[in-house]
Amino acid sequence: MERLVALWCPGFSNEGPRGEEVRAFAELLDSVRERCPFVEPVRRGVAVFPARAPSRFFGGEDAVIAMLRNDLGALCENQGTALHVGISEGLFSALCAARRDVIIPPGEFLAFLRPLPITTLRRSELAVLCQRLGLHTLGRFADLPYERVLERFGSDGAHCHQVVNGREGELLGIRDPSIHPRLRSLEEAIPPPAQPTFFGGTSFADERATRAALRLQRRFGSASVQVAREAYGHDPNEQAVLVPFGSQGEERVTVAQRMAPWPGRIPSPSPTVVLSAPPPVCLVDKTGTPVWVSVDGLLTGEPERVVLGDKAKTIVAWAGPWPLATRWWEKRRFRARLQVLSDKGEGALLGFEHGQWWLLGRYD
Amino acid sequence: MFAFSTSPRPLASRPPIPQQLKERAKPVLSASSRTIEIDPALRSLLPNGSFQRGTTTTLFGPEGSGATSLGISLMAHASSTGHWCGVVGARDPGVTAMKELGLDVRRVIFVPHPQAGWADAAAELLDGVDVLLLCPPRNVPHAAARRLMARAKERRSVLLIRTVTPKQWPIVPELTLSLTSASWQGVGHGDGHLTARRVAVTVHGRRGASRPVEQWLWLPTRQGTVREAG
Repeated sequence: MERLVALWCPGFSNEGPRGEEVRAFAELLDSVRERCPFVEPVRRGVAVFPARAPSRFFGGEDAVIAMLRNDLGALCENQGTALHVGISEGLFSALCAARRDVIIPPGEFLAFLRPLPITTLRRSELAVLCQRLGLHTLGRFADLPYERVLERFGSDGAHCHQVVNGREGELLGIRDPSIHPRLRSLEEAIPPPAQPTFFGGTSFADERATRAALRLQRRFGSASVQVAREAYGHDPNEQAVLVPFGSQGEERVTVAQRMAPWPGRIPSPSPTVVLSAPPPVCLVDKTGTPVWVSVDGLLTGEPERVVLGDKAKTIVAWAGPWPLATRWWEKRRFRARLQVLSDKGEGALLGFEHGQWWLLGRYD
Repeated sequence: MFAFSTSPRPLASRPPIPQQLKERAKPVLSASSRTIEIDPALRSLLPNGSFQRGTTTTLFGPEGSGATSLGISLMAHASSTGHWCGVVGARDPGVTAMKELGLDVRRVIFVPHPQAGWADAAAELLDGVDVLLLCPPRNVPHAAARRLMARAKERRSVLLIRTVTPKQWPIVPELTLSLTSASWQGVGHGDGHLTARRVAVTVHGRRGASRPVEQWLWLPTRQGTVREAG
Protein backbone atom coordinates (compact mmCIF):
# COMPACT_ATOMS: atom_id res chain seq x y z
CA MET A 1 0.00 0.00 0.00
CA GLU A 2 1.19 3.48 -0.80
CA ARG A 3 2.78 5.48 1.97
CA LEU A 4 1.10 8.83 2.34
CA VAL A 5 1.87 12.07 4.15
CA ALA A 6 -1.27 13.55 5.66
CA LEU A 7 -1.67 17.16 6.78
CA TRP A 8 -4.42 18.17 9.14
CA CYS A 9 -5.24 21.73 10.20
CA PRO A 10 -8.16 21.63 12.66
CA GLY A 11 -8.71 25.39 12.24
CA PHE A 12 -9.67 24.96 8.59
CA SER A 13 -12.15 22.10 9.16
CA ASN A 14 -15.18 24.36 9.20
CA GLU A 15 -15.88 27.16 6.84
CA GLY A 16 -17.09 30.42 8.29
CA PRO A 17 -19.43 32.87 6.55
CA ARG A 18 -16.51 34.81 5.09
CA GLY A 19 -14.75 31.77 3.67
CA GLU A 20 -11.41 32.82 5.19
CA GLU A 21 -10.63 29.22 6.16
CA VAL A 22 -10.97 27.82 2.66
CA ARG A 23 -8.88 30.63 1.24
CA ALA A 24 -6.16 29.97 3.80
CA PHE A 25 -6.39 26.26 3.05
CA ALA A 26 -5.98 26.96 -0.66
CA GLU A 27 -2.93 29.05 0.16
CA LEU A 28 -1.55 26.17 2.22
CA LEU A 29 -2.12 23.73 -0.65
CA ASP A 30 -0.34 26.10 -3.03
CA SER A 31 2.65 26.37 -0.79
CA VAL A 32 2.86 22.57 -0.37
CA ARG A 33 2.42 22.17 -4.12
CA GLU A 34 5.58 24.15 -4.72
CA ARG A 35 7.57 21.33 -3.09
CA CYS A 36 5.34 18.30 -3.62
CA PRO A 37 3.19 18.72 -6.72
CA PHE A 38 0.92 15.73 -6.08
CA VAL A 39 -0.76 17.06 -2.98
CA GLU A 40 -4.55 16.68 -3.05
CA PRO A 41 -7.20 17.97 -0.71
CA VAL A 42 -9.23 15.30 1.06
CA ARG A 43 -11.69 17.54 2.82
CA ARG A 44 -11.62 20.98 4.46
CA GLY A 45 -8.40 21.21 6.43
CA VAL A 46 -7.04 17.82 5.34
CA ALA A 47 -4.62 17.17 2.49
CA VAL A 48 -2.53 14.21 1.51
CA PHE A 49 0.34 13.38 -0.84
CA PRO A 50 2.52 10.33 -1.59
CA ALA A 51 5.53 10.13 0.70
CA ARG A 52 7.94 8.14 -1.41
CA ALA A 53 9.22 10.64 -3.95
CA PRO A 54 9.50 13.66 -1.63
CA SER A 55 11.22 11.64 1.08
CA ARG A 56 13.78 10.40 -1.41
CA PHE A 57 14.30 13.87 -2.81
CA PHE A 58 14.50 15.77 0.46
CA GLY A 59 16.42 13.10 2.36
CA GLY A 60 13.97 11.10 4.41
CA GLU A 61 10.50 11.40 5.81
CA ASP A 62 11.71 13.39 8.79
CA ALA A 63 13.17 15.93 6.41
CA VAL A 64 9.85 16.20 4.55
CA ILE A 65 7.97 16.85 7.78
CA ALA A 66 10.56 19.36 9.00
CA MET A 67 10.31 21.15 5.66
CA LEU A 68 6.50 21.24 5.80
CA ARG A 69 6.55 22.63 9.32
CA ASN A 70 9.07 25.21 8.24
CA ASP A 71 7.08 26.24 5.14
CA LEU A 72 3.64 26.24 6.67
CA GLY A 73 4.38 27.20 10.26
CA ALA A 74 3.97 30.94 9.73
CA LEU A 75 0.80 30.54 7.64
CA CYS A 76 -0.88 28.30 10.22
CA GLU A 77 0.17 30.52 13.07
CA ASN A 78 -1.31 33.58 11.35
CA GLN A 79 -4.58 31.73 10.92
CA GLY A 80 -4.49 30.48 14.48
CA THR A 81 -4.57 26.81 13.69
CA ALA A 82 -2.36 23.91 14.63
CA LEU A 83 -0.64 21.85 11.96
CA HIS A 84 -0.60 18.07 12.37
CA VAL A 85 1.44 15.85 10.07
CA GLY A 86 1.64 12.09 9.96
CA ILE A 87 2.93 9.39 7.63
CA SER A 88 1.56 5.90 7.23
CA GLU A 89 0.25 3.46 4.62
CA GLY A 90 -3.19 4.11 3.17
CA LEU A 91 -5.37 7.15 3.58
CA PHE A 92 -7.18 5.94 6.69
CA SER A 93 -4.11 5.10 8.69
CA ALA A 94 -2.24 8.19 7.42
CA LEU A 95 -5.01 10.40 8.77
CA CYS A 96 -4.95 8.52 12.09
CA ALA A 97 -1.18 9.10 12.16
CA ALA A 98 -1.64 12.81 11.46
CA ARG A 99 -4.09 13.10 14.34
CA ARG A 100 -1.36 11.81 16.64
CA ASP A 101 1.57 13.53 14.85
CA VAL A 102 3.52 10.32 14.29
CA ILE A 103 5.45 8.64 11.51
CA ILE A 104 4.55 4.95 11.43
CA PRO A 105 7.52 2.81 10.36
CA PRO A 106 6.94 1.08 7.00
CA GLY A 107 4.88 -2.09 7.25
CA GLU A 108 3.73 -1.55 10.82
CA PHE A 109 0.55 0.36 10.23
CA LEU A 110 -1.66 -2.59 11.17
CA ALA A 111 -0.05 -2.73 14.58
CA PHE A 112 -0.67 1.01 14.85
CA LEU A 113 -4.34 0.67 13.94
CA ARG A 114 -5.08 -2.27 16.27
CA PRO A 115 -5.31 -0.43 19.60
CA LEU A 116 -7.36 2.46 18.19
CA PRO A 117 -10.98 2.66 19.44
CA ILE A 118 -13.70 1.29 17.17
CA THR A 119 -15.26 4.78 17.00
CA THR A 120 -12.33 5.89 14.81
CA LEU A 121 -14.24 4.36 11.87
CA ARG A 122 -17.02 6.93 12.35
CA ARG A 123 -19.74 4.32 11.88
CA SER A 124 -21.94 4.89 14.92
CA GLU A 125 -24.22 1.91 14.39
CA LEU A 126 -21.31 -0.45 13.90
CA ALA A 127 -19.43 1.06 16.84
CA VAL A 128 -22.39 0.70 19.22
CA LEU A 129 -22.93 -2.91 18.21
CA CYS A 130 -19.26 -3.82 18.49
CA GLN A 131 -18.97 -2.17 21.87
CA ARG A 132 -22.00 -4.14 23.10
CA LEU A 133 -20.24 -7.27 21.88
CA GLY A 134 -17.15 -6.24 23.80
CA LEU A 135 -15.10 -5.36 20.74
CA HIS A 136 -13.67 -1.98 21.72
CA THR A 137 -10.66 -1.73 19.43
CA LEU A 138 -10.07 -1.92 15.69
CA GLY A 139 -7.83 -4.92 16.30
CA ARG A 140 -10.59 -6.95 17.90
CA PHE A 141 -12.90 -6.03 15.04
CA ALA A 142 -10.26 -6.98 12.49
CA ASP A 143 -9.90 -10.42 14.04
CA LEU A 144 -13.52 -11.30 13.22
CA PRO A 145 -13.89 -13.58 10.20
CA TYR A 146 -14.78 -11.67 7.05
CA GLU A 147 -17.86 -13.73 6.22
CA ARG A 148 -19.37 -13.18 9.67
CA VAL A 149 -18.84 -9.41 9.38
CA LEU A 150 -20.41 -9.34 5.94
CA GLU A 151 -23.37 -11.30 7.27
CA ARG A 152 -23.92 -9.14 10.33
CA PHE A 153 -22.93 -5.64 9.19
CA GLY A 154 -23.56 -5.72 5.46
CA SER A 155 -21.30 -4.45 2.72
CA ASP A 156 -20.27 -1.26 4.49
CA GLY A 157 -19.22 -3.19 7.56
CA ALA A 158 -17.30 -5.57 5.35
CA HIS A 159 -15.55 -2.61 3.72
CA CYS A 160 -14.51 -1.32 7.16
CA HIS A 161 -13.22 -4.78 7.95
CA GLN A 162 -11.10 -4.75 4.79
CA VAL A 163 -9.68 -1.35 5.76
CA VAL A 164 -8.68 -2.30 9.30
CA ASN A 165 -7.10 -5.48 7.93
CA GLY A 166 -4.99 -3.46 5.53
CA ARG A 167 -6.55 -4.86 2.37
CA GLU A 168 -7.93 -1.47 1.42
CA GLY A 169 -6.34 1.84 2.18
CA GLU A 170 -9.19 4.21 1.97
CA LEU A 171 -12.23 4.27 4.17
CA LEU A 172 -15.38 5.28 2.29
CA GLY A 173 -16.76 8.62 3.43
CA ILE A 174 -13.38 9.96 4.49
CA ARG A 175 -13.26 12.27 1.49
CA ASP A 176 -15.47 15.29 1.10
CA PRO A 177 -15.87 15.72 -2.66
CA SER A 178 -17.35 19.20 -2.20
CA ILE A 179 -13.88 20.58 -1.45
CA HIS A 180 -12.84 20.38 -5.11
CA PRO A 181 -15.58 22.60 -6.56
CA ARG A 182 -15.13 24.94 -3.59
CA LEU A 183 -11.40 25.36 -4.27
CA ARG A 184 -12.05 25.78 -7.97
CA SER A 185 -14.62 28.46 -7.22
CA LEU A 186 -11.89 30.40 -5.40
CA GLU A 187 -9.68 30.32 -8.45
CA GLU A 188 -12.42 31.36 -10.76
CA ALA A 189 -14.09 33.91 -8.55
CA ILE A 190 -13.64 37.07 -10.53
CA PRO A 191 -15.18 40.08 -8.91
CA PRO A 192 -16.70 42.57 -11.32
CA PRO A 193 -13.74 44.42 -12.85
CA ALA A 194 -13.27 48.07 -12.08
CA GLN A 195 -13.82 49.11 -15.66
CA PRO A 196 -16.66 47.67 -17.73
CA THR A 197 -16.15 47.89 -21.48
CA PHE A 198 -18.43 49.62 -23.91
CA PHE A 199 -21.07 46.92 -23.93
CA GLY A 200 -20.79 46.36 -20.21
CA GLY A 201 -18.86 43.12 -20.57
CA THR A 202 -15.25 42.48 -19.74
CA SER A 203 -12.41 42.46 -22.20
CA PHE A 204 -9.60 39.98 -22.33
CA ALA A 205 -7.23 42.55 -20.83
CA ASP A 206 -9.58 43.16 -17.90
CA GLU A 207 -9.77 39.47 -17.22
CA ARG A 208 -6.02 39.03 -17.43
CA ALA A 209 -5.40 41.91 -15.04
CA THR A 210 -8.06 40.60 -12.65
CA ARG A 211 -6.48 37.17 -12.59
CA ALA A 212 -3.04 38.61 -11.87
CA ALA A 213 -4.45 40.75 -9.07
CA LEU A 214 -6.23 37.76 -7.53
CA ARG A 215 -3.04 35.68 -7.66
CA LEU A 216 -1.17 38.50 -5.95
CA GLN A 217 -3.87 38.73 -3.29
CA ARG A 218 -3.61 35.05 -2.56
CA ARG A 219 0.10 35.32 -2.27
CA PHE A 220 0.57 38.59 -0.37
CA GLY A 221 -2.77 39.01 1.39
CA SER A 222 -5.94 40.68 0.22
CA ALA A 223 -5.01 44.16 1.46
CA SER A 224 -1.73 44.25 -0.46
CA VAL A 225 -3.28 44.78 -3.88
CA GLN A 226 -5.18 48.02 -4.18
CA VAL A 227 -7.18 50.05 -6.64
CA ALA A 228 -8.10 53.71 -6.58
CA ARG A 229 -11.57 54.97 -5.71
CA GLU A 230 -12.81 58.47 -6.20
CA ALA A 231 -13.42 60.54 -3.11
CA TYR A 232 -13.80 64.21 -2.42
CA GLY A 233 -12.26 66.51 0.14
CA HIS A 234 -9.93 69.41 0.73
CA ASP A 235 -6.63 67.62 0.90
CA PRO A 236 -4.96 65.53 -1.79
CA ASN A 237 -5.14 62.49 0.48
CA GLU A 238 -8.91 62.93 0.73
CA GLN A 239 -9.57 63.30 -2.98
CA ALA A 240 -8.84 59.66 -3.82
CA VAL A 241 -8.50 56.59 -1.69
CA LEU A 242 -6.86 53.24 -2.29
CA VAL A 243 -9.01 50.26 -1.38
CA PRO A 244 -8.18 46.54 -1.54
CA PHE A 245 -8.79 45.06 -4.99
CA GLY A 246 -12.21 43.48 -5.35
CA SER A 247 -13.69 45.11 -2.27
CA GLN A 248 -17.38 45.65 -2.76
CA GLY A 249 -17.68 48.86 -0.75
CA GLU A 250 -20.21 51.31 -2.09
CA GLU A 251 -19.12 54.42 -3.94
CA ARG A 252 -18.39 56.97 -1.29
CA VAL A 253 -19.04 60.01 -3.46
CA THR A 254 -22.43 61.65 -3.53
CA VAL A 255 -23.53 64.21 -6.08
CA ALA A 256 -23.50 66.90 -3.40
CA GLN A 257 -19.88 66.11 -2.65
CA ARG A 258 -18.95 66.15 -6.31
CA MET A 259 -20.60 69.51 -6.90
CA ALA A 260 -19.26 71.03 -3.70
CA PRO A 261 -16.61 73.71 -4.27
CA TRP A 262 -14.36 72.59 -1.43
CA PRO A 263 -13.03 76.05 -0.62
CA GLY A 264 -9.38 76.06 0.30
CA ARG A 265 -8.59 73.18 -2.01
CA ILE A 266 -5.02 73.34 -3.31
CA PRO A 267 -5.03 74.18 -7.02
CA SER A 268 -3.59 71.59 -9.36
CA PRO A 269 -1.00 70.17 -9.96
CA SER A 270 -1.36 67.85 -6.99
CA PRO A 271 1.60 66.23 -5.27
CA THR A 272 2.65 62.92 -6.84
CA VAL A 273 3.61 61.54 -3.45
CA VAL A 274 0.89 61.89 -0.82
CA LEU A 275 2.14 60.64 2.52
CA SER A 276 -0.36 58.45 4.32
CA ALA A 277 1.44 59.04 7.62
CA PRO A 278 2.71 62.63 7.42
CA PRO A 279 5.91 63.14 9.41
CA PRO A 280 6.28 66.30 11.52
CA VAL A 281 8.65 68.93 10.10
CA CYS A 282 10.09 72.17 11.44
CA LEU A 283 9.90 75.43 9.54
CA VAL A 284 12.39 78.07 10.67
CA ASP A 285 13.31 81.58 9.52
CA LYS A 286 16.78 83.15 9.04
CA THR A 287 17.44 83.46 12.75
CA GLY A 288 16.40 79.90 13.42
CA THR A 289 13.14 80.74 15.16
CA PRO A 290 10.21 78.51 14.24
CA VAL A 291 7.64 79.92 11.85
CA TRP A 292 3.96 79.38 12.68
CA VAL A 293 0.65 80.37 11.29
CA SER A 294 -0.81 83.20 13.32
CA VAL A 295 -4.45 83.45 14.34
CA ASP A 296 -5.21 85.75 11.39
CA GLY A 297 -3.85 83.14 9.00
CA LEU A 298 -0.45 84.66 8.21
CA LEU A 299 3.05 83.29 8.66
CA THR A 300 4.88 84.68 11.70
CA GLY A 301 8.13 85.03 9.70
CA GLU A 302 9.78 84.36 6.35
CA PRO A 303 10.52 80.64 6.09
CA GLU A 304 14.20 79.96 5.38
CA ARG A 305 14.69 76.29 6.05
CA VAL A 306 12.53 73.20 6.47
CA VAL A 307 13.88 70.46 8.72
CA LEU A 308 12.74 66.86 8.47
CA GLY A 309 14.49 64.64 10.99
CA ASP A 310 18.19 65.44 10.57
CA LYS A 311 17.84 66.72 7.00
CA ALA A 312 17.46 70.44 6.37
CA LYS A 313 16.54 72.07 3.07
CA THR A 314 16.78 75.71 2.11
CA ILE A 315 13.56 77.28 0.95
CA VAL A 316 13.80 79.67 -2.01
CA ALA A 317 10.12 80.27 -2.62
CA TRP A 318 6.83 79.51 -0.98
CA ALA A 319 3.14 79.97 -1.56
CA GLY A 320 0.44 80.30 1.05
CA PRO A 321 -0.42 79.75 3.77
CA TRP A 322 -3.92 78.88 2.73
CA PRO A 323 -6.05 78.62 5.82
CA LEU A 324 -8.70 75.97 5.78
CA ALA A 325 -11.76 77.25 7.54
CA THR A 326 -14.05 74.43 8.47
CA ARG A 327 -17.14 74.40 10.60
CA TRP A 328 -16.56 75.60 14.13
CA TRP A 329 -17.86 72.36 15.63
CA GLU A 330 -15.30 70.20 13.87
CA LYS A 331 -12.29 69.04 15.79
CA ARG A 332 -9.74 69.85 13.08
CA ARG A 333 -10.86 73.44 12.91
CA PHE A 334 -7.68 75.34 12.43
CA ARG A 335 -5.65 74.12 9.51
CA ALA A 336 -3.45 75.74 6.89
CA ARG A 337 -1.36 74.51 3.99
CA LEU A 338 1.84 75.86 2.48
CA GLN A 339 3.72 75.01 -0.70
CA VAL A 340 7.48 75.32 -0.41
CA LEU A 341 10.19 75.09 -3.05
CA SER A 342 13.75 74.13 -2.13
CA ASP A 343 16.92 75.46 -3.74
CA LYS A 344 17.28 72.12 -5.57
CA GLY A 345 13.92 72.56 -7.26
CA GLU A 346 12.00 70.14 -5.05
CA GLY A 347 8.45 71.12 -4.27
CA ALA A 348 6.65 70.01 -1.13
CA LEU A 349 3.26 70.53 0.46
CA LEU A 350 3.23 71.26 4.16
CA GLY A 351 0.23 71.31 6.44
CA PHE A 352 -0.21 73.14 9.72
CA GLU A 353 -2.37 71.45 12.29
CA HIS A 354 -2.34 71.03 16.08
CA GLY A 355 0.31 73.78 16.28
CA GLN A 356 2.78 71.75 14.22
CA TRP A 357 3.91 71.55 10.58
CA TRP A 358 3.55 68.23 8.76
CA LEU A 359 4.92 67.06 5.41
CA LEU A 360 1.76 66.17 3.48
CA GLY A 361 3.17 65.49 0.05
CA ARG A 362 5.99 65.90 -2.43
CA TYR A 363 5.93 67.01 -6.02
CA ASP A 364 8.09 64.45 -7.77
CA MET B 1 8.73 16.58 -35.12
CA PHE B 2 5.00 17.20 -34.79
CA ALA B 3 3.42 19.43 -37.33
CA PHE B 4 1.99 21.80 -34.72
CA SER B 5 4.75 21.59 -32.15
CA THR B 6 4.96 24.77 -30.14
CA SER B 7 8.65 24.43 -29.34
CA PRO B 8 10.57 27.01 -31.32
CA ARG B 9 12.90 25.51 -33.86
CA PRO B 10 16.02 27.32 -34.92
CA LEU B 11 15.42 29.57 -37.89
CA ALA B 12 17.93 27.74 -40.07
CA SER B 13 16.00 24.45 -39.90
CA ARG B 14 12.78 26.00 -41.21
CA PRO B 15 12.06 25.66 -44.92
CA PRO B 16 12.64 28.99 -46.66
CA ILE B 17 9.68 31.01 -47.91
CA PRO B 18 9.54 31.01 -51.72
CA GLN B 19 10.86 34.22 -53.22
CA GLN B 20 7.63 35.30 -54.96
CA LEU B 21 5.64 34.71 -51.78
CA LYS B 22 8.10 36.45 -49.53
CA GLU B 23 7.11 39.91 -50.68
CA ARG B 24 3.43 39.37 -49.96
CA ALA B 25 3.78 37.41 -46.72
CA LYS B 26 3.43 39.53 -43.61
CA PRO B 27 4.84 38.83 -40.19
CA VAL B 28 2.19 37.53 -37.80
CA LEU B 29 2.73 40.38 -35.35
CA SER B 30 1.35 43.66 -36.53
CA ALA B 31 3.24 46.80 -35.57
CA SER B 32 0.59 47.81 -33.05
CA SER B 33 1.00 44.63 -31.05
CA ARG B 34 4.73 45.13 -30.86
CA THR B 35 4.57 48.61 -29.42
CA ILE B 36 2.69 50.52 -26.77
CA GLU B 37 1.79 54.03 -27.78
CA ILE B 38 2.55 57.02 -25.59
CA ASP B 39 1.22 60.55 -25.38
CA PRO B 40 1.92 62.26 -28.74
CA ALA B 41 3.50 65.16 -26.83
CA LEU B 42 6.17 62.82 -25.46
CA ARG B 43 6.91 60.93 -28.67
CA SER B 44 10.16 62.74 -29.29
CA LEU B 45 11.56 61.24 -26.08
CA LEU B 46 11.59 57.65 -27.27
CA PRO B 47 13.67 56.35 -30.20
CA ASN B 48 10.65 55.07 -32.15
CA GLY B 49 8.04 57.33 -30.68
CA SER B 50 6.56 54.47 -28.67
CA PHE B 51 7.54 51.74 -26.25
CA GLN B 52 8.73 48.47 -27.72
CA ARG B 53 6.90 45.72 -25.88
CA GLY B 54 9.17 43.62 -23.68
CA THR B 55 11.67 46.39 -23.00
CA THR B 56 12.80 47.99 -19.79
CA THR B 57 13.24 51.71 -19.23
CA THR B 58 14.70 53.34 -16.16
CA LEU B 59 13.62 56.80 -15.06
CA PHE B 60 16.37 58.13 -12.92
CA GLY B 61 16.45 61.35 -10.98
CA PRO B 62 16.65 62.57 -7.39
CA GLU B 63 13.45 62.98 -5.41
CA GLY B 64 11.60 66.02 -6.63
CA SER B 65 13.11 65.89 -10.11
CA GLY B 66 9.85 64.81 -11.68
CA ALA B 67 10.80 61.22 -12.51
CA THR B 68 7.57 59.91 -10.98
CA SER B 69 5.50 62.42 -12.95
CA LEU B 70 7.28 61.39 -16.12
CA GLY B 71 6.60 57.72 -15.39
CA ILE B 72 2.92 58.46 -14.86
CA SER B 73 2.68 60.53 -18.06
CA LEU B 74 4.33 57.77 -20.05
CA MET B 75 1.69 55.30 -18.80
CA ALA B 76 -1.23 57.69 -19.25
CA HIS B 77 -1.89 57.15 -22.94
CA ALA B 78 -1.70 53.37 -22.61
CA SER B 79 -4.22 53.33 -19.76
CA SER B 80 -6.66 55.54 -21.63
CA THR B 81 -6.57 53.18 -24.62
CA GLY B 82 -7.52 50.15 -22.56
CA HIS B 83 -4.18 48.81 -21.38
CA TRP B 84 -3.87 47.97 -17.72
CA CYS B 85 -1.05 49.47 -15.71
CA GLY B 86 0.58 48.45 -12.44
CA VAL B 87 2.40 50.48 -9.81
CA VAL B 88 4.59 48.44 -7.45
CA GLY B 89 6.52 49.82 -4.51
CA ALA B 90 5.33 53.43 -4.65
CA ARG B 91 4.48 53.68 -0.98
CA ASP B 92 2.27 56.76 -1.08
CA PRO B 93 1.07 57.30 -4.63
CA GLY B 94 -0.66 60.59 -5.28
CA VAL B 95 -3.74 59.33 -7.05
CA THR B 96 -5.09 62.82 -7.66
CA ALA B 97 -1.87 63.80 -9.43
CA MET B 98 -2.12 60.64 -11.55
CA LYS B 99 -5.61 61.62 -12.64
CA GLU B 100 -4.44 65.12 -13.47
CA LEU B 101 -1.63 63.74 -15.63
CA GLY B 102 -4.17 61.80 -17.65
CA LEU B 103 -3.82 58.32 -16.15
CA ASP B 104 -7.08 56.38 -16.07
CA VAL B 105 -6.75 55.17 -12.49
CA ARG B 106 -9.62 52.73 -12.93
CA ARG B 107 -7.19 50.55 -14.89
CA VAL B 108 -4.29 50.75 -12.46
CA ILE B 109 -3.39 48.06 -9.92
CA PHE B 110 -1.36 49.29 -6.97
CA VAL B 111 0.89 47.20 -4.76
CA PRO B 112 2.06 49.95 -2.40
CA HIS B 113 3.85 47.93 0.28
CA PRO B 114 5.34 44.78 -1.25
CA GLN B 115 8.25 44.86 1.24
CA ALA B 116 10.64 41.93 0.75
CA GLY B 117 8.39 40.44 -1.91
CA TRP B 118 8.68 43.40 -4.29
CA ALA B 119 10.37 41.40 -7.04
CA ASP B 120 7.85 38.58 -6.80
CA ALA B 121 4.96 41.01 -6.78
CA ALA B 122 6.32 42.82 -9.83
CA ALA B 123 6.95 39.55 -11.67
CA GLU B 124 3.43 38.36 -10.89
CA LEU B 125 1.87 41.64 -11.95
CA LEU B 126 3.82 41.68 -15.23
CA ASP B 127 1.56 38.75 -16.18
CA GLY B 128 -1.52 40.87 -15.96
CA VAL B 129 -0.62 44.39 -17.02
CA ASP B 130 0.94 45.93 -20.10
CA VAL B 131 2.89 48.70 -18.40
CA LEU B 132 4.40 48.39 -14.94
CA LEU B 133 5.95 51.23 -12.96
CA LEU B 134 8.28 49.82 -10.32
CA CYS B 135 9.91 51.74 -7.50
CA PRO B 136 12.52 49.24 -6.29
CA PRO B 137 14.23 49.39 -2.89
CA ARG B 138 17.76 50.72 -2.46
CA ASN B 139 19.68 47.51 -3.06
CA VAL B 140 18.45 45.53 -6.01
CA PRO B 141 20.07 42.09 -6.35
CA HIS B 142 21.44 41.44 -9.82
CA ALA B 143 19.45 38.21 -10.10
CA ALA B 144 16.14 39.92 -9.30
CA ALA B 145 16.76 42.63 -11.89
CA ARG B 146 17.69 40.08 -14.53
CA ARG B 147 14.64 37.97 -13.74
CA LEU B 148 12.25 40.90 -13.97
CA MET B 149 13.68 42.10 -17.27
CA ALA B 150 13.42 38.58 -18.66
CA ARG B 151 9.85 38.36 -17.39
CA ALA B 152 8.93 41.63 -19.09
CA LYS B 153 10.45 40.35 -22.31
CA GLU B 154 8.61 37.06 -22.04
CA ARG B 155 5.24 38.63 -21.18
CA ARG B 156 5.79 41.41 -23.73
CA SER B 157 5.06 44.10 -21.17
CA VAL B 158 6.78 47.42 -20.69
CA LEU B 159 8.72 47.79 -17.46
CA LEU B 160 9.40 51.30 -16.15
CA ILE B 161 11.74 51.60 -13.20
CA ARG B 162 11.91 54.74 -11.13
CA THR B 163 15.30 54.94 -9.41
CA VAL B 164 17.11 57.64 -7.48
CA THR B 165 20.65 56.75 -8.52
CA PRO B 166 21.72 55.21 -11.84
CA LYS B 167 23.47 52.33 -10.05
CA GLN B 168 20.32 51.34 -8.17
CA TRP B 169 19.23 49.15 -11.09
CA PRO B 170 22.22 46.87 -11.66
CA ILE B 171 21.58 46.01 -15.32
CA VAL B 172 21.76 48.49 -18.16
CA PRO B 173 18.24 48.69 -19.58
CA GLU B 174 17.20 49.31 -23.18
CA LEU B 175 16.53 52.94 -22.43
CA THR B 176 17.47 55.34 -19.65
CA LEU B 177 15.70 58.64 -19.10
CA SER B 178 17.58 60.75 -16.59
CA LEU B 179 16.07 63.89 -15.17
CA THR B 180 18.76 66.34 -14.21
CA SER B 181 17.19 69.67 -13.47
CA ALA B 182 13.73 70.85 -12.57
CA SER B 183 12.47 74.36 -12.03
CA TRP B 184 9.00 75.25 -10.85
CA GLN B 185 7.16 78.35 -11.87
CA GLY B 186 4.37 80.33 -10.33
CA VAL B 187 5.50 80.50 -6.74
CA GLY B 188 7.00 83.57 -5.09
CA HIS B 189 7.38 84.73 -1.51
CA GLY B 190 3.98 83.82 -0.21
CA ASP B 191 2.12 84.55 -3.42
CA GLY B 192 0.97 82.42 -6.35
CA HIS B 193 1.11 78.62 -6.30
CA LEU B 194 3.10 75.90 -8.05
CA THR B 195 1.83 75.94 -11.64
CA ALA B 196 4.30 74.55 -14.17
CA ARG B 197 7.61 72.77 -14.07
CA ARG B 198 10.36 72.70 -16.67
CA VAL B 199 12.54 69.61 -16.55
CA ALA B 200 15.56 68.48 -18.54
CA VAL B 201 15.45 64.86 -19.67
CA THR B 202 18.49 63.08 -21.07
CA VAL B 203 17.60 60.08 -23.18
CA HIS B 204 20.21 57.40 -23.52
CA GLY B 205 19.96 53.81 -24.59
CA ARG B 206 20.76 51.03 -26.95
CA ARG B 207 19.42 50.69 -30.48
CA GLY B 208 18.75 54.04 -32.07
CA ALA B 209 19.42 56.05 -28.94
CA SER B 210 23.07 55.37 -28.26
CA ARG B 211 23.91 59.06 -28.40
CA PRO B 212 22.55 60.87 -25.32
CA VAL B 213 20.07 63.56 -26.27
CA GLU B 214 18.90 66.24 -23.88
CA GLN B 215 15.37 67.55 -24.13
CA TRP B 216 13.28 70.02 -22.19
CA LEU B 217 9.76 69.24 -21.10
CA TRP B 218 6.94 71.01 -19.32
CA LEU B 219 5.94 68.48 -16.68
CA PRO B 220 3.23 69.68 -16.16
CA THR B 221 2.29 72.75 -18.13
CA ARG B 222 0.08 75.46 -16.67
CA GLN B 223 -2.91 73.55 -18.02
CA GLY B 224 -1.82 70.35 -16.29
CA THR B 225 -0.75 68.56 -19.46
CA VAL B 226 2.69 67.55 -20.66
CA ARG B 227 4.44 69.28 -23.52
CA GLU B 228 7.85 69.70 -25.05
CA ALA B 229 9.54 72.91 -23.97
CA GLY B 230 11.47 74.98 -26.45
